[in-house]
Amino acid sequence: MNDSLISLLTALGDDELIIGHRHSEWTGHAPHIEEDVAFSSIAQDEIGHATAFYELLAQITGDDPDRLALGRSPDEYRHAILCERPNGDWAYTLARHWLYDTADALRLEALSGTAHKDLAAVAVKLQREERYHMLHATTWMSRIAHGPVEGRARLIDSITKAFAEALALFEPIELEEEAVKEGWLPVPSDEMRSRFLAHAADGLDQLGLPAEVVSPSDQSAEFVASSSGDLIERNGNGADGREWQPSGLGGRRGTHSPDFDALWDEMTVTYRENPGVTW
Amino acid sequence: MKTTTISESIWAALDSVMDPEIPVVSIVDMGMVEQVDVQDGRARVVILPTFSGCPAISVIKRDVAEATVRVEGVKTVEVDTTYSPPWTTDRITEQGRTKLREFGLAPPTGVAPVLITEIGLPIVAECPFCGSTNTRNDSPFGPTPCRALYYCEDCRNPFEQFKPI
Repeated sequence: MNDSLISLLTALGDDELIIGHRHSEWTGHAPHIEEDVAFSSIAQDEIGHATAFYELLAQITGDDPDRLALGRSPDEYRHAILCERPNGDWAYTLARHWLYDTADALRLEALSGTAHKDLAAVAVKLQREERYHMLHATTWMSRIAHGPVEGRARLIDSITKAFAEALALFEPIELEEEAVKEGWLPVPSDEMRSRFLAHAADGLDQLGLPAEVVSPSDQSAEFVASSSGDLIERNGNGADGREWQPSGLGGRRGTHSPDFDALWDEMTVTYRENPGVTW
Repeated sequence: MKTTTISESIWAALDSVMDPEIPVVSIVDMGMVEQVDVQDGRARVVILPTFSGCPAISVIKRDVAEATVRVEGVKTVEVDTTYSPPWTTDRITEQGRTKLREFGLAPPTGVAPVLITEIGLPIVAECPFCGSTNTRNDSPFGPTPCRALYYCEDCRNPFEQFKPI
C-alpha cells in the first residue's frame, strides 16, 4: 500500500531538488545582481520543498532525508528529464522556469486534496511560496515577449523546445494506478497533463506569445506502456498529419539523459566523499 | 493547576527564543508556536516552520528545546514541527510587527499575491525609516527566503520587507 505513496513522494521530491539545483547554478552568474539573488532564493525554496517531501518519505521508510537527496545512485532518481537539462541561455532558463512552475502550481493544487493528510498540508503550505516563483517567471516572460525581436524569437524557440519535455512532468509515476486507487494521487497524470496543456496555452496567450507551440495534437497525447515496457505515445498524429514525437519521457522510471550524470556528479560529490558529514 | 503553570512558564521561556535571522522578534511574536503541552514533566512543543526552505528552523528547534528544558518542572522535552495549519505572515503579532519595523524591516502587508498569470506585485510596503508608502518593489526576492527588496521614493532609502505569505 505504501509503495505507491513512496513512488509519488520520490517523484515530487526529486523534481524539486533537481530543478532547485539547476536554479542554484545561476548564483554568481545571472545577468544582473537582482536575478542572481532571485534565482538563488528560488533555488533555496525548491530545495526546501524537496526536503519537505523527503521528510514525509523518511517518516514511512525510516530513511534519512539527506541520504535521499544525495546518497542515491542516478537511476534511483525519479524526476522528469526537463528538470535536469542545463540552464542554457536566459531564454531557455525562463521558458523552463515558467513551464515548470505552471505545472507545479497545478500539481500542488491537486495534491491539496490527497488522502495523505500530511502531504495535503505540505501542498497547501508550498502553494503560498510558489506564487512568488510564478510571479517571477511571468514577469520575465512578459518583459521578453514584449521586448526586442531577437529576445522574443529566442524565447519562443525555447518554449517550443522545453514544452515537449514539460509534458513528461505528467508521465505516469510508478504504481500510478495504485496511487490513484489509494487516493494519494487525487488526479491521474493523464488528466493533469490535459489541465497543464489548457493552462499553458491560456497563459501564453495572455502573455501575447503564440499558444500554437502547445500543438492541438498534443491534446490527445496519451502515454501507454509498450510490450517492451517502455512508454510510447498513442494517438501521436497531429492535426497537420505529422507525427508528434514525445520527448523527455523515462524520468519517472529512473531513465535519465547524460545531462543528469554531470549534474549528479557535482551535486553529490561532497556527500560521497564524506558520508554523514554535517555542516 | 500545576500543569497550567508549567505550560505558562514554557510560553514565557519561548518568548525569549529569537528568530536567528531577525534577532529582535521572538518565535512567539512570529506566531510560530502552535502548541505547548505538559504532562508529568514531559513537555511537547509544536512549532510551525515559516518558509519551508528557511535553514533557521534547525537552530530554532534546538533553542526551543534548550529554553523549555530549563523551565522548572520540565524533565523532558520533545519539539515537533507541522505544516498544519500552515504558518502565514498573518500570524505575526502587533508587537512583532512593531519590532520588525524598529529592526528596519518593513512588516508584511496584506496577504500573498494571488497571481498565476497577472503581472506585478500589488502590495505596498511601508518604509520602516520614514513611514512613507510611496515605495516601489525592486524584487520579490531578497537575501533570505522571507525578504523582498524595496526602495523608498520619499526618503530615498532601499529597504527590505518581510514578504507576505
